[in-house]
Amino acid sequence: MNRREVLKLAGTAAAFCASFGFLHGSQVGGVVQDKHVVQDKHSVQHKWERAELKWYSGATLLYSSAIPAEVAKHLESDINATVEIKLFRSGQLLKSLGAIQGKH
Amino acid sequence: MAGPHEVLGMSRLLGISTTEFLARYADNGGTTLRFGADGRCVFVTPAGCRVHSRRPLVCRLYPLGRATDGAGDERFALFPKQDCCEAAFGTDGTIADFLESQGVEPYLEWSCRYGELYRRMLGILDRLDIQGKVEAGAGGESDRAPISPWQDIDASLAEYCAVKGIAVPAGIEESIDLHLEAMREWLDGLEGRIGPVPGDREGVRKP
Repeated sequence: MNRREVLKLAGTAAAFCASFGFLHGSQVGGVVQDKHVVQDKHSVQHKWERAELKWYSGATLLYSSAIPAEVAKHLESDINATVEIKLFRSGQLLKSLGAIQGKH
Repeated sequence: MAGPHEVLGMSRLLGISTTEFLARYADNGGTTLRFGADGRCVFVTPAGCRVHSRRPLVCRLYPLGRATDGAGDERFALFPKQDCCEAAFGTDGTIADFLESQGVEPYLEWSCRYGELYRRMLGILDRLDIQGKVEAGAGGESDRAPISPWQDIDASLAEYCAVKGIAVPAGIEESIDLHLEAMREWLDGLEGRIGPVPGDREGVRKP
């Protein structure tokens, strides 16, 4: 993709973000935040909707994905709600990657 | 705030093209309506809104604000009354009744359909890893010009229809449908060139 096409794409995304009030940067399927949102009422919910898991090789981003909606909802439900992230291979626990709390 | 479909509706009401509308009445890269020296929307007159029948969704929703979460659930917030607003405020009605009275349904539907395209754009941009690397600019007079050619539906469709050898639709709804279709084809082409997104053929990552 050449520079002109990238700029057109970025410009269109920016224009849609501003003119529709879409939540910028979110990759969660289905999340469309409409206009005139009272941020202070929804800041907790939005915090986890916008969370992403990213895989790096050194400084290179290999892949990123939004956390599942069910997980975000659980974390938003209570500041003490906790989820643990565990890595499995062939059905066997390989490593525990840690825990996240709603208040993080 | 005014999306391309809303600009189209207001343009038709005023009898001008979307190109002229954006040049005369839009600001902030073609994403908002212009304000007068008195701080009011350029369409507000002593007799009321000049584009009331084709007013954007944000005007229809006021004084409500609307957000949807990842599960698609809606939330509404109530904004304080503006001093200059002459609308009747009260709490005796329901949100559903209010939304119906304001004719928001087609606007929410269009917002949803453009939202699907927006997420595809973010998916492509994310794969190109350029998010946050494009400066927004310093602002000023030049900010009034549309950021993207897709904001100008008349110009976009004139070009698209010329390439396709088809007639430009006359109706607002038909024009919006074709605009969405043209944008889908554009994104299909971009995604086709950078390859499929791992685990998601539509280019939109989902949880």
